[in-house]
Amino acid sequence: MRKFSLVEFSVEHPRLIVALSVLITMLFMTQFPKVRTDTNPKNMLPATSDVRVWNDEVEKTFGLYEDMIALGIVNEKGILNKDTLASIQRITDEVLKIKGVAARDVSSFTTIDNVTAENQTLTVAPLMTKVPEDTLGIEHLRKMLYENPLFINRIISKDGKTTAIYVPLEKGANGKEIADRIKEIVKKEKGDGKYYVAGDPVARDTFGAEMFKLMAIFAPIAGMVMLFVRYLMFRDLFLSITLMMDAMIAIVWSMGLLIGLGFPIHIMSSMAPVFLMAIATDSMHIFNEFYFRYRETKDKKKAIIETMNAVSRPVRNTALATAAGFAVLLFMNIIPVRVFGGLVAFGTIALRLLSFSFIPAMFTFVKDEKIEKIAHAEDIGTDRTSQFLGKLAGIGTHKPAMTVAAGIILVIIAIIGIAKTRVNNNMVEWFKKGSDVRISDTVINQALGGTSLGYIIAIAKEDDYIKTPEAMRYIEGLQRHLEKLPVVGKTTSVVDYVKRINRVLHDDDPKYDVVPETKEMIGQYIFLFSMSAKPSDLDNVVDYPFRRANIWVQLKTWDATAMQNVISAVEGYKRANQTPMEMKPAGTAYFNLVWNHEVLWDMVKGFILALIVVFAILAYDFRSVKWALVGYTPLLFTILIIYGVLGFIGKDFDMPISVLSCLSLGMAVDFAIHFVSRFRQRLTECRGEPLCSPSQAQAGQPQGAALTRDVVTDTLHWTAARPGKGIVRNAVLFAASFAVMMFAPLTPYITVGAFIVSMMLLSAFMTIIYLPALITLMQGWLLKGDKI
Amino acid sequence: MKKTLIIVFAIAVSAALCGISLAVTPDEVMKKSQAAFLYPGKDFKARVMMKLISKGGQERVREMTMLRKNYGESGGDQKYFIYFFQPADVKDMTFMVYKYPGRDADRWLFVPAISMVRRIAAKDKHSSFVGSDFTYEDVSGRSLAEDTHGIIKEEKTGGKDSYVVKSTPKAGDMDYSYKMSWIDKSTFLPLKEEYYDKRGELYKVFTAIEVKDIKGFPTITKRSMKNLQSGHLTEVSYSRADYGIGIDDSLFSERFLKQPPKKWTE
Repeated sequence: MRKFSLVEFSVEHPRLIVALSVLITMLFMTQFPKVRTDTNPKNMLPATSDVRVWNDEVEKTFGLYEDMIALGIVNEKGILNKDTLASIQRITDEVLKIKGVAARDVSSFTTIDNVTAENQTLTVAPLMTKVPEDTLGIEHLRKMLYENPLFINRIISKDGKTTAIYVPLEKGANGKEIADRIKEIVKKEKGDGKYYVAGDPVARDTFGAEMFKLMAIFAPIAGMVMLFVRYLMFRDLFLSITLMMDAMIAIVWSMGLLIGLGFPIHIMSSMAPVFLMAIATDSMHIFNEFYFRYRETKDKKKAIIETMNAVSRPVRNTALATAAGFAVLLFMNIIPVRVFGGLVAFGTIALRLLSFSFIPAMFTFVKDEKIEKIAHAEDIGTDRTSQFLGKLAGIGTHKPAMTVAAGIILVIIAIIGIAKTRVNNNMVEWFKKGSDVRISDTVINQALGGTSLGYIIAIAKEDDYIKTPEAMRYIEGLQRHLEKLPVVGKTTSVVDYVKRINRVLHDDDPKYDVVPETKEMIGQYIFLFSMSAKPSDLDNVVDYPFRRANIWVQLKTWDATAMQNVISAVEGYKRANQTPMEMKPAGTAYFNLVWNHEVLWDMVKGFILALIVVFAILAYDFRSVKWALVGYTPLLFTILIIYGVLGFIGKDFDMPISVLSCLSLGMAVDFAIHFVSRFRQRLTECRGEPLCSPSQAQAGQPQGAALTRDVVTDTLHWTAARPGKGIVRNAVLFAASFAVMMFAPLTPYITVGAFIVSMMLLSAFMTIIYLPALITLMQGWLLKGDKI
Repeated sequence: MKKTLIIVFAIAVSAALCGISLAVTPDEVMKKSQAAFLYPGKDFKARVMMKLISKGGQERVREMTMLRKNYGESGGDQKYFIYFFQPADVKDMTFMVYKYPGRDADRWLFVPAISMVRRIAAKDKHSSFVGSDFTYEDVSGRSLAEDTHGIIKEEKTGGKDSYVVKSTPKAGDMDYSYKMSWIDKSTFLPLKEEYYDKRGELYKVFTAIEVKDIKGFPTITKRSMKNLQSGHLTEVSYSRADYGIGIDDSLFSERFLKQPPKKWTE
């Protein structure tokens, strides 16, 4: 009984195969309307992760909000004038009405409590109940603002030109929707004021909205670019569309499966379509070979089957390597990373299935004359690309030692670059420099305390300890210590309130702007404060049994490293100053630090795992560890050089970059697989075929003789020229489609685009120069055991 | 037969009309409610236990003796004297309020740690009473003339017939846009109040949990205020409540703030 061959079956029943493919695609498509997105980085870690449990606890204990939007209002002439103040009042009134805003805790001139002292009377009132009518009133307001340290750098900048309205959000509110509503409100304001909306929810939810746009715009554009480039290569629209359909079908299947299984789309999975489109380019090798074969056989069906026989092994193995590269992500801790890995691995396998069924089936529909025409151009002797590639390989074969030495120097330089790598992540920097999100953030961070918020929780061993003068003084000292860091804009704690009350009770005498001497005083001052101000003011900074205090640390940057600096500073202070209190970080800034770290190291772990798996696949594929090592070299080379360059240009090693490192492996190894497989195949075929090796034929050497240097060299040139063309076409196509992403408005997409483009071109180049050089140099060792 | 029908009908119609004309006006309901809720007796004393419960279930306790004396009619001036037992570190702290209808009250606080009396000026409408979910106004009431009242419906709540009154502040400076009160038809005590914010969403609920008759005055001895948005809850219970105990005017002075007589505080 003959073994069932999918390719032959497809060629015999092309219509059935195409109909089946379309049907399955439609089935997957029915899942699309159920699509959900999730852009909250919180969900990168499961709800049961330590950091989330801890942050939830902190939020609950201190009645904090997870999300806060800051509306910056800037007037170059100073905001303390009737018009701007009236604007602030109007805007605040409107903001309070927005659904999803936690109105009771909005901080603005008209809502923030101010405690003042005059004529033995303590006055507790919102800072500004109505807009002052005259200069006297404005001067009074100015005095109140600047004599209360709680306000400076929070709702008034030192230069008096900037204020902010802080808008906490209810759980589950959409930051972008609220930010857009705020933008509409401020648009109605005329006058000199400029308005800036910033904060983590804005960045995050804007990113989510943009992500959707990118999926809808860039994936199709990338597809069109690929279609166009392919058309330029083959001059056949039908086949170009076939390749495109191949990618599209795989994308629909994978995304349909993802959505059907009920997973939301994260930033990572949103990139999957473009990745799959790129991986689909591997079928380029089938086309490449097909035209060469057709030229030789002139029989379409036979050419198809022969082509598939020739390329099936490398195509299958590259798919395996790619799928494995992604599948290792399934073993990572972070859920979106796992989902992404599974998604792309599934898509890769789907693609390969299509390569052996759908593509051959589609070939049968192409008219013979058309193929004839294209195939005519495909001759390695006359084709300029092939000639060029042959020459490129010549560098490696003629001066192998020099080539390798140059390579080693490059690697050393690259390693120096890698040593300079800075691990960091900054969500706001995911937006371009000129973007609204970025500008708003910069403006507010320059003028005020900072939009990124972290907490340091002081935990005592007994209740009421926070009320002791020693705890108060310790916290105060820590605050001053932290404020010395350039990234820290402002800190706030219960101590600031106690000092404020102390001073106000003593007729605003600055002498009393200190921590009171006894625990009774502190307790009574806090009670007094709680009797007058909003309950949340106190709840936010101290827990009910006075066992824990919360120090707010406003950071001027969203860099994950900023919170790292704060934590180190806290540890440093603790070492120098003894206390029975424990200090633990919390808050969004801390969460960002943790999840970045986790994603990053998950990816690094994945990368190492992928390195091993890919090596195993290579060794299995080549049935030789030696060949696997050689095949591995261009890949390692490429990766080292790219990361070296990143280190030199000072690009942070952030989440998107770490994700890429994993992917690059599975993809860049493809070229080596093709090259080595085809080279060895050719070498086998050449035994007893004098025509294979022109130099051998010329030299008149006896046929079937042992492999000579010349045979190897000629075979290498042939490999570079023929399958090499497929490699270059693949790389160019890949690069072209990813180049599109470099025009995206979000930097992670740009990074991905630039990274993949350079990686593809570089690894193609490395494969064609370095494999010949290495094989030439080590042929004795490599070919010794080979039974050719 | 026809005639009888007409007569019956006429009686029915006039009875219905009478029913409407006899029904109390919303302003009357609220006036009676104010008298029953905030002004019963000449004076009043109770040991008040207040529990402030956060969303996460953390508790803060305020324990105090509250003394009240009326000056003039229901809706007129009142004086309050409060002595704190708990939290422990504020023991001996005292607090005095002179309440006037239609304007902010005068308040004085004695801070024992520094032995100092300070006057406190705050907005009754917004300020929280000792950190609870009650505002000063929720505790001591607001002038009826500041709102427009309307009876929306009558229904049973907690098994008691009550008027449902909607009160809308005339000025826009309140935290809520309107309040719904369920007023018991027999005692005129509010059994429930719902506060709606500026977006028209319910955000605060007052509930009378326990009503007892003390010296002939129906008195709410257990009550709660829940903030639905912050999840914070305040529970208040009165013990040893009493009316007509003859509080001297002299109690409400700076001297006694500093040295509250045991007779009144215990």
